[in-house]
Amino acid sequence: MTQKELHNQRLVREAEHAVMRMNTRRHFLKESAMGLGALALGSLFGSCGSKASQNSVVFDPAHPLLPKLPPFAGKAKSVIYLHMAGAPSQLELFDYKPELMKMDGQDCPQSLLEGKKFAFIRGVPKMLGPQAKFAQYGDSGAWVSENMPHLSSIVDELSFLKAVTTDQFNHAPAQLMVHTGSARLGRPSLGSWVTYGLGTENQNLPGFVVLTSGGRNPDAGKSVWGSGFLPSVYQGVQCRSEGDPVLFIKDPDGMDRDLRKASIDAINEVNAQEYKEYNDPEILSRISQYEMAYKMQIAAPEVMNINNEPQYIHDMYGTKPGEGCFANNVLLARKLVEKGVRFVQLFDWGWDSHGTDASLAIDVGFINKCRSVDKCITALILDLKQRGLLEETLVVWGGEFGRTPMMENREGKQNPFKGRDHHTEAFTIWMAGAGIKKGFTYGETDEIGYSSISGKVEPFDVQATILNQLGFDHEKFTYDFQGRPFRLTDTRGKVISDIIA
Amino acid sequence: MLLSITEFLGHFHPLLVHLPIGILLIGLLLQWLSRKEKHASLKPAIPIVLLWGTVAALASCITGYLLSISDDYDKTLVSLHMWMGISVALVSLMLYAKEKNPAFAIDKRILSIGLLILVFLTGHLGGSLTHGSDYLTKPFKDIFSNDTLSTATIKPIANVQEAVAYQEVIKPILETKCYSCHNANKQKGGLRMDDSLKLMKGGKDGKIIEPGNADESEMIKRLLLPVDNEDHMPPKEKPQPTEQQIALLHWWISNNADFTKKVKELQQTDKLKPILLALQNVTAIKKEATDIPKTTVEKADEKVIDQLRQKGVVVLPVVQNSNYLMANFVTDTIVDKDDLQLLLQLKKQLIWLKLDDTNIGDDGMQIISQLTNLIKLDLSHTNITDKGLQQLQPLTNLQYLNLVGTKISAQSLLQLKNLYTLQSLYLYQTNVGKNDWETLRTTFPKTQIDSGGYVVPLLATDTSLVKEPKKDY
Repeated sequence: MTQKELHNQRLVREAEHAVMRMNTRRHFLKESAMGLGALALGSLFGSCGSKASQNSVVFDPAHPLLPKLPPFAGKAKSVIYLHMAGAPSQLELFDYKPELMKMDGQDCPQSLLEGKKFAFIRGVPKMLGPQAKFAQYGDSGAWVSENMPHLSSIVDELSFLKAVTTDQFNHAPAQLMVHTGSARLGRPSLGSWVTYGLGTENQNLPGFVVLTSGGRNPDAGKSVWGSGFLPSVYQGVQCRSEGDPVLFIKDPDGMDRDLRKASIDAINEVNAQEYKEYNDPEILSRISQYEMAYKMQIAAPEVMNINNEPQYIHDMYGTKPGEGCFANNVLLARKLVEKGVRFVQLFDWGWDSHGTDASLAIDVGFINKCRSVDKCITALILDLKQRGLLEETLVVWGGEFGRTPMMENREGKQNPFKGRDHHTEAFTIWMAGAGIKKGFTYGETDEIGYSSISGKVEPFDVQATILNQLGFDHEKFTYDFQGRPFRLTDTRGKVISDIIA
Repeated sequence: MLLSITEFLGHFHPLLVHLPIGILLIGLLLQWLSRKEKHASLKPAIPIVLLWGTVAALASCITGYLLSISDDYDKTLVSLHMWMGISVALVSLMLYAKEKNPAFAIDKRILSIGLLILVFLTGHLGGSLTHGSDYLTKPFKDIFSNDTLSTATIKPIANVQEAVAYQEVIKPILETKCYSCHNANKQKGGLRMDDSLKLMKGGKDGKIIEPGNADESEMIKRLLLPVDNEDHMPPKEKPQPTEQQIALLHWWISNNADFTKKVKELQQTDKLKPILLALQNVTAIKKEATDIPKTTVEKADEKVIDQLRQKGVVVLPVVQNSNYLMANFVTDTIVDKDDLQLLLQLKKQLIWLKLDDTNIGDDGMQIISQLTNLIKLDLSHTNITDKGLQQLQPLTNLQYLNLVGTKISAQSLLQLKNLYTLQSLYLYQTNVGKNDWETLRTTFPKTQIDSGGYVVPLLATDTSLVKEPKKDY
């Protein structure tokens, strides 16, 4: 071995040593953690791989919102869900009970109280007759109260479910029940399930948009449009109905569109490298989210702006441009559905008519709430119809429970205004469009509207019906989580085939 | 109380019967194996196994007897099963005695083979009692015949008004929902429903049908009880009749529960007519979307679909496992010649096409008119005029045509009168004149024509608020 060779050998060894010195303990831990993690993951996947392949919905993390096909041909392409948060009184809107009037002011019979629990009623409350005049409308002869003078003109487009029941008498759990199929937190909402299963056709807009009005978010908070255990891209995107639809959607001063594009490209580049190293599908989701956000900067302000609608549309809906009101949201819902958004969820707060103050009185605040929604909802149905959209858009209206035929006596004392307590045994939900029967009523309550006597349904049945109209068998539409398949309707739910045309 | 204890014990029979079957067969197997030198060591186990088999057989006999007096089964079948069961116990006892004392005067082989046969026969008879005598052979029957009885599904009736009410409307309901527990072999509650006389006679608790008075009939009462109620029929875990089926039973009993009259001879309320009519077409309940052709089509060229997707067009099968396609230009609002050429290559598969809010105009219609399989076409808010629209005559499969917000008029629409399948036509904000609607409606008698332009009038209540009433106190 010459001296030169020796020298080279020493150099190489020195270089190797230097490289080895770079390999710190941190590297060792990182590498071995990855290895162990991969092992654990492998065994996890191995044990449930055969199960997962049964799932009809394929999740593509790189393009989570691409449109997918339903298992069978559904009538509905999109859904607009109008939720009156706080629970409107069915007894002053659709469930006409003349017999209840006869009992007005009398003590509630013991038989209605025994073994029952109410949110606020204590002791023996007085009965409260209907606080509105009713009449029959349309060819279907549906009963509607004077509180909805516009809606009464379109009853022949709607299917009423008069005997909906639930098992939750507090707002938050009841709202979760209606939207996630469980009274407890942690389950994906209806809109999340739908966007998970169907994706969305317009890749420049979110697939699941939430709009709130009435000054407050629903009591159950954002969980009511959360994605639960589904990938987080499927959670509802709450848009604002005044100002920018999404906060920080405009580029800040000094940042132009090209610079924005360049920076998003750079971020995506880094993320792509990270993905190469770790293979975590959530990184691909993140990349696609950045891309969508960039496209949304152009598309969203255009769609979310009601100002460029013609005046006669504003007159039809009774919108108040510039305010964050329900009517504006309803018009936005139509615009979003027209642009291919899959699921639009509206919440309007302020329907909790206990009678504790004037705004929550059944003969004051409640009537004003009705006036604020009646015209725009009627306009929505008619506008969807004349645009040829009602055939493939399912509109659902309802609250989270009903209200008692008794006047509320909070803690045993008469409330200052006329009001009704939360009631789980009967309330009304209506649906329209997308293959739902027109001018139909299903279910019946007893003569004072206390409980359902026929055609009784629960939130699971409503959910099953909505999924059915979208082309899903609610019993087969599952997501594997924590070792078992989960579904929206849990172990319950029957499609209400009577209201399907 | 005593009765309920015997009944309780009787209910153990279906559990206990499996013990003698298993134990005795094991005993016989040991006996057979131990004939060989290799397994001679098994011999001492045989008497013990046979003894316990005998004990289990006796226990089964006792519980079986208790069950037979508390429940209602076919008498001849039950007594045969009972004597067979007793014989099993006896023969196994004899075999045990022979094993213990070889001097016993009967041939061991006859006893063993006899026991084997008896065990199988008794077991089969027991199975026939609980599951029905055709239980074992049913799968074969289903293969070889499309008999409604064995598959227990309801077939559509050709003309419901001419049908015999009991035979064709009522009996199929009972067949699918009641017979499994109330038949010739098994009569729960002493009730047999597959025979018209027995049906009218009722069960242990009396008549179940009061002709002419459905509300007082036990059958209807029990059907209407909440599912969780103990007396609800059919039991919670069994298939439940639909509300329509209950309405039909109610109607039949209200009309004196007649076994010979035709449907048209019985009174029909308005509520019942649609239910009866629905029987003519059972499949109507499971409505299939008609906006997808029944015939199949070969797969479209994936390359063409990919090219369209690259351009931002949403192209998808209309439903899983179908080759029919829908295309939506929701984000690609500039439709150029290439796009149209690509669509043309999907001519066979494309059935739904949404071009709303795009720049497509009259010159594009020449290609659109070649997409003859189209069922839904949305051209709203595009630049098409009468000149383009009248070219669409070849689209004879169209069911949905949306022309909202275009400059078309009645003149070109009238030229499309050959589109017989058209179900909905949307003409809001078009140039269709006030006087044209009547002509259009007579030209398209089967089509829902939506003229739009709905007005929601402004009422005083829309802009005013209810104020808090003044308090008297």
